[in-house]
Amino acid sequence: MVNLMHRRLSAKLSFLAAFSGAVFLCSSASARSEGATDQGAYIAVTSDCVACHTAPGGKPFAGGLALKTPLGTMYSTNITPSTTFGIGDYTEADFSRAVRKGIRKDGNNLYPAMPYTAYSKMTDRDLHDLYVYFMKSVRPVESTPPKTSLPFPMNIRSSMMFWNILFRNDRLFQPDLSRSEEWNRGAYLVQGPAHCGTCHTPRGFLMQEKPSESLGGASLGSWYAPNITSDKISGIGSWSPENIKTYLKSGHIDGLAQAAGGMGEAVEHSFQHFTNDDLQAVATYLASVKPVRDPEDGNTSRFTLGRAISSADRVRGDQPIRSEDNSNMTGAELFMGNCASCHNFKAEGSRDGYYPSLWHNSVTGASNADNLIATILFGVDRHVSGVEAFMPGFGGRKSDAAQLNDEEIAKLTKYVLDTYGRPQVSVSGAEVKLIREGGAKSPLLALTRFGMAGSMTIITLACIYGVFRRIRA
Amino acid sequence: MPSNLSSDVIIVGTGVVGCLIAEQALDAGFSVLMLEAGPRVSRDTIVENYRNLPPRLRNHWNAPYPPKPWAPHLETRTESEGASYLDLIGPNAKAYEQGYVRYAGGATWHWAGICWRMTPDDLRLKSLYGVGRDWAFSYDVLEPYYARAEHAMGVCGPRDPALQWPPNTTRSRPYPMGPIPFGPGEQRLTDVAATIGMQNLPAPQARNSGVSFDGRPPCCGNNNCFPVCPIAAKYDAATALPRIEAKGGKIITNAVAYRVETNSQKKIEAIHYFDPNKTSHSVSGKIFVLACNGIETPKLLLLSANEKNPHGVANSSDQVGRNMMDQPKLVADVEMTEPLWTGVGPVQSSSIMNTSQGDFRRDYAGAMFRMENMARSTLGGLAALEKGLYGKALDQEIRRLSACTARLTVEHEPLPLSFNRLTLSDKKDWLGLSRPRIYYDVGDYVRRSATQYTVPLLKKLAIALGATDIKISPEFLHSDHIMGGTIMGNDPVDSVVDADCRAHDHDNLFLPGGGAMTTGGSGNSTITMAALAIKAADAIVGQLNHG
Repeated sequence: MVNLMHRRLSAKLSFLAAFSGAVFLCSSASARSEGATDQGAYIAVTSDCVACHTAPGGKPFAGGLALKTPLGTMYSTNITPSTTFGIGDYTEADFSRAVRKGIRKDGNNLYPAMPYTAYSKMTDRDLHDLYVYFMKSVRPVESTPPKTSLPFPMNIRSSMMFWNILFRNDRLFQPDLSRSEEWNRGAYLVQGPAHCGTCHTPRGFLMQEKPSESLGGASLGSWYAPNITSDKISGIGSWSPENIKTYLKSGHIDGLAQAAGGMGEAVEHSFQHFTNDDLQAVATYLASVKPVRDPEDGNTSRFTLGRAISSADRVRGDQPIRSEDNSNMTGAELFMGNCASCHNFKAEGSRDGYYPSLWHNSVTGASNADNLIATILFGVDRHVSGVEAFMPGFGGRKSDAAQLNDEEIAKLTKYVLDTYGRPQVSVSGAEVKLIREGGAKSPLLALTRFGMAGSMTIITLACIYGVFRRIRA
Repeated sequence: MPSNLSSDVIIVGTGVVGCLIAEQALDAGFSVLMLEAGPRVSRDTIVENYRNLPPRLRNHWNAPYPPKPWAPHLETRTESEGASYLDLIGPNAKAYEQGYVRYAGGATWHWAGICWRMTPDDLRLKSLYGVGRDWAFSYDVLEPYYARAEHAMGVCGPRDPALQWPPNTTRSRPYPMGPIPFGPGEQRLTDVAATIGMQNLPAPQARNSGVSFDGRPPCCGNNNCFPVCPIAAKYDAATALPRIEAKGGKIITNAVAYRVETNSQKKIEAIHYFDPNKTSHSVSGKIFVLACNGIETPKLLLLSANEKNPHGVANSSDQVGRNMMDQPKLVADVEMTEPLWTGVGPVQSSSIMNTSQGDFRRDYAGAMFRMENMARSTLGGLAALEKGLYGKALDQEIRRLSACTARLTVEHEPLPLSFNRLTLSDKKDWLGLSRPRIYYDVGDYVRRSATQYTVPLLKKLAIALGATDIKISPEFLHSDHIMGGTIMGNDPVDSVVDADCRAHDHDNLFLPGGGAMTTGGSGNSTITMAALAIKAADAIVGQLNHG
């Protein structure tokens, strides 16, 4: 437990825990408006603007999605061309400043929940096309979403100025002329519009991405965005380019992995619409990303663990017929009662792959149980090419038909890890509770609440040090 | 410690009817308190109960739902169990062995999910054919409520009007989901039936077809819809309970309502219930809804008899407990030379409905024909073992019996007959409350239908399927569709509730569900009960809004 809290609270805190909430976008919220064929629409898709800037069931880009972050709940804004409520009065320069530098037309700072540190790499041409798309093809929506009001002192937007001095990247994407055009396109997409690092790169104390561990895996509210570096054990170095393309296109590969949570949304709203050339470019670039190894993985990749074992054999024969719930259900009984009807009693899934195998699966083979717990709590709802991949949640929402409590989910998770995945991983009811509530809160908030003066001093010193270093450089 | 809780709406029963009303009242901003006689058991426990049953008990739908002593329901695994709760008498007592479940979520736990609407003609038997009764309203009035019920529960069904039921009517909304494809057995039945003029239609069913609905997953064909859908792809009211609580509704389980209290203005004032320690409590409210099914609701009204209500509450007409209906069922167990392979998809997924309509209904009952789509392997295995086979011969016989046997059923439209009556038995239950006594006679209308119409047709269908052996059940069986005991009508003299399921005698008492159904039709009753529930909920919300 101490270890867990330490791990969670020390580093992997993200403003972009964004996706951690119950985020479901209805089909009306498709980025494919009438101007879908134009270049700007495609850039909006590759940048996945719609995922955050559309509320569940709401109009595209009208904002209002509640983003549960470690610092409090933020609401995405209306970015339709409404002059009253949206960005209708933005000039192209205003637009570019907001997208790439995180500064609104009125001069106020955006929070880095808006991934402007990634978008800053985007080309002028792409920014222009994107601007034209938003102004010409997106329908203005005349309504305003709820206002973000973070707790003090995070409500002082100007504090972001210091953060920007330290961490904003004001340089456009720089092609590496020693590499192929394809590689450079992939690098541009991954680092820029697709903003992969926003979720997959671990963050430092001030929530900045840590460049030394780029794409090395990070906690994201309830979910964990895993290591996608080229490392053969901890990353996806064992995947073929075809694997990567299939995964991004469909969100699912038998015997490897499936996309849920934020990645499910990224596939649904963004990657499935990538051109094949762009998917190939992303695959080529990812294969070259510096490997990051997690020592906890030992020498086993998360894709190769587990095998078919009958859970039915462990529970049949000695059970009474009950007229009330057994508070001491074993992990095997929980598995048989809740999982086996779809994933099968040997957990091999279905032949057509709709129900994934629970062994040889990145979620059960991972070195932390976050995604397994989050999947059980919140389920999966991914729409790709008009087809839905669905698993119900088992109590993450109060209205779920099945309501497993923290201890039951801990027991079930541990059973699945022990039987079909990585048995070394430990799970506790407290960890389930944390994930149920949306992940760890930021220590920044605690620090500022309980020791405002001290923490501000530290932050100020850190900023001064950073500025000093930059000047020297 | 006796308690006295209060709420805008008090609902007795947590089945489909109670849950639909609870949600609508909560959505309108009113407080809701629900009483459930039985326990609340989670799906995983029930699923494991089912799987832990010995094979010979797998077809007893109540076996995974052992009753609590204070909330008995009928179990029929042994003779003594069969006699332990319902006190059944009359020539067709066997045809009223109703298998409902007194658990939170009610009998939808093990319903088939089939949602046949009644037809315009079904609601006008008296004026069209001179039998039974006419409903208080026409099909046009009911239609929008059917549509709302289909969307509330998530009913899948065909888009093609030629495959929709009732025929030649307008639907105000399409089904929320497309149909579930036929398995090989159902396809074969459909093709064969068509050659003898019987149209086997894809059944509208409250089961998710290929997509999720309301946070519940698509059906993946476990083929044990009864006794329990293991993944909640089929709607059952138990899936609504967490949502009701999330909206602020309160549910008290193991609370057996035993008395409805009226005041001097003929309004309901309170409902009294026992907890498992036999301590009595009461709840008070503005509107009271008894939705504890077609047997328990009239029983509770009769139990509440006192000086003010000498025949029981809501019973100035003496119709409470009369007109008990269900579709009397006959089954044909059929052996064929060719394999049919039932068992792919839901346990029921299609029916022949065109046999339920026609001018012949002046003389005898219409009926619905269908084939059970249960996998036959358990039955085949047991039968093969009884033959004393072993080794390869056993395997071959199990395979043959699983593939080349089928069960066809025919369910007859009942008439509301006042002599089919629920009264209070002198036999008591664990709490000391009178058990329900029910006299049941299917009546000549149904018997004539069986002799002249349905049994010959059943044989014809079996032969068309290639039957080499046909065994028809020697007596009528129950379909578990309990209807009629608090019958609806416009005239308070011969009916219990009005067109909104409001008791004629007490304007803050609603008795929605199967009991209110004026006639039964040939199809499964739940979708009509749900439509009546939504209609009643509109009236309840209106009444609360306007005092």
